[in-house]
Amino acid sequence: MSPKACPAHSPTLYTAGPGWLDAAITAVVSGGGVVYAPTAIDNGTVQLAPTTSAATVKLDYVNNRLPLKAVLFPQTETLLSYKKSGGGGVQVAVADPPPAEILVLGCRPCDAAAMQLLDTVFQWDYDDVPYQRRRGNTTLVSFACAKPGPYCFCGAVGGSPADERGSDVLATLNADGSAVLKSVTERGGQFVQRLGAAVKPATSPAAPQQAAPGPEPVDLERVRAWLDNNFASDLWGEVALRCLGCGVCTYLCPTCHCFDIVDEAAWNHGERRRNWDSCAFRMFTVHTSGHNPRPNQTARWRQRVMHKFKYFPQRFGHTGCVGCGRCAEKCKAGQNLLDILRRISQENAS
Amino acid sequence: MNTPVDYVPFQARIESIVEETVDVKTFRLVFCDPAVAESFSFRPGQFGLYSVFGAGEATFCIASSPTRKRYIECSVNKAGRVTTELHQCNTGDVIGFRGPYGNWFPLDEMAGKNLLFVGGGIGLAPLRSVIWNVVDWRDRFARVTILYGARSVGDLVYKSELTAWQEMDSLNTVYTVDPGGETPGWAGKVGFVPAVLEEMKPSPANTVVITCGPPIMIKFVLASLGKLGFSLDAAYTTLENRMKCGIGKCGRCNVGPLYVCKDGPVFRCDQLRALPQEY
Repeated sequence: MSPKACPAHSPTLYTAGPGWLDAAITAVVSGGGVVYAPTAIDNGTVQLAPTTSAATVKLDYVNNRLPLKAVLFPQTETLLSYKKSGGGGVQVAVADPPPAEILVLGCRPCDAAAMQLLDTVFQWDYDDVPYQRRRGNTTLVSFACAKPGPYCFCGAVGGSPADERGSDVLATLNADGSAVLKSVTERGGQFVQRLGAAVKPATSPAAPQQAAPGPEPVDLERVRAWLDNNFASDLWGEVALRCLGCGVCTYLCPTCHCFDIVDEAAWNHGERRRNWDSCAFRMFTVHTSGHNPRPNQTARWRQRVMHKFKYFPQRFGHTGCVGCGRCAEKCKAGQNLLDILRRISQENAS
Repeated sequence: MNTPVDYVPFQARIESIVEETVDVKTFRLVFCDPAVAESFSFRPGQFGLYSVFGAGEATFCIASSPTRKRYIECSVNKAGRVTTELHQCNTGDVIGFRGPYGNWFPLDEMAGKNLLFVGGGIGLAPLRSVIWNVVDWRDRFARVTILYGARSVGDLVYKSELTAWQEMDSLNTVYTVDPGGETPGWAGKVGFVPAVLEEMKPSPANTVVITCGPPIMIKFVLASLGKLGFSLDAAYTTLENRMKCGIGKCGRCNVGPLYVCKDGPVFRCDQLRALPQEY
């Protein structure tokens, strides 16, 4: 569960030999659990994928192509299945339970920090059961970043390449797979205990050298102050001109949580599914009458920035962006959120 | 303590269907599970997600009063995929219902006050829940007035109830249709709702306004209320925005920082004035 559930845990450092990855995978897989680890899929693209051997775990990569949320809040999932019977009746069955245990072995710290934000949303007054029943069984082991990529900007929005937020264990890897493990939460501590002889308590308190932080911090308070007064700014139209409305920035965003619920029917039976959705789409907000409260890309881009940097902090006390940089990296039109933030932070706040 | 939501709806059987207009039907639903039927409760103004299995879910208010137990009712305008499927349903068919969600009209705070309902078209549905609630708690409120209008006589919903309210000594009713929408036998007023409201000259003293209708009507009703000396903090309305989850997760119904599903759907009009026009 989230670190806030176990505040009493005091972090402990361990050194782990190269065999710790195999020990971790074996411990979980032998118990019927599933391990997701960075795996090369094609053209050097690395993706979190179910893994049964440490041999396929990639250790040198910038980030997983899809964010960690894809494991715990899948792009599409079944909420229920139904079958209609005669006389207007219907039988409804709930979706299959998730695996007994999920180990994510090798998300980046930014993605783990993002899960803390998703936890906040999915536990906001109502517990989202499909999310929670995966999340509650999940241990997150982050690999600290040795070489931030060209689009990474965690340091600009309050993160760092060795950010512990959201991680149960933070691993700082060496090239041979050996590592320094820091148990951040109680769950992380229990996980390390299961690695047996592969780990031992660290004798030296110092973790290995971290990568230098990326871009300079953005003054997020200043950004928020500007957003408070600039719902009607011309900036939104200017920013939106570049947007194709494809939604890739939202699908690849580790903190975006918007979803659609649709029925997929086949004759007298079918499924109700939850699918990722995007504020970049016209259909996202359009009413049946045709009226659309966010009628153009200008309004939709404003919503994207306002949500992450004003509404989310107002409501939950955290900025809704962890600086993974996927949105900028994958945007075919060259939209760059960090540039927008820098520009806003230089505007006069009034 | 958080409420767990697994998105699996209650099953409810359609007990009866009333054809209100050519494209609006009211469905009375009874929960299939007697334990749910027994324990289900809600407040006036709350909404739910109604689903036809195979077509999907759609959001409507609960149009019946919480004081009338055993069933809930919803009034549905045939407009999109789910509502079209719902209009195809017969009595006895089973549909889904998730809810109740959202906030409600604060009737407790309105005790001892005059109530003025201003409704337009199918916007009477959420008001109907409050009106029957008020009728059942009639001695808690002072003067109760209902102003209701529609484009034409044919577009008036809850026709038999409009007559019943008219016949109650404890309620004052004014019904109107837009110019050109009257029939030869129409005994009510002819004129747009805001104009009729100004003609009625209700006193703002100790009066709470509850309004719902097409956005354009609400806009002009608020202007008329201003002319009549009402302050916006004495007026409530209910918003609708497209929503999927109903519980603040799916991310689309927000108006500025507020979620219609969690912070609404009922808003005080001064609160609304402070929000961007994203509804």
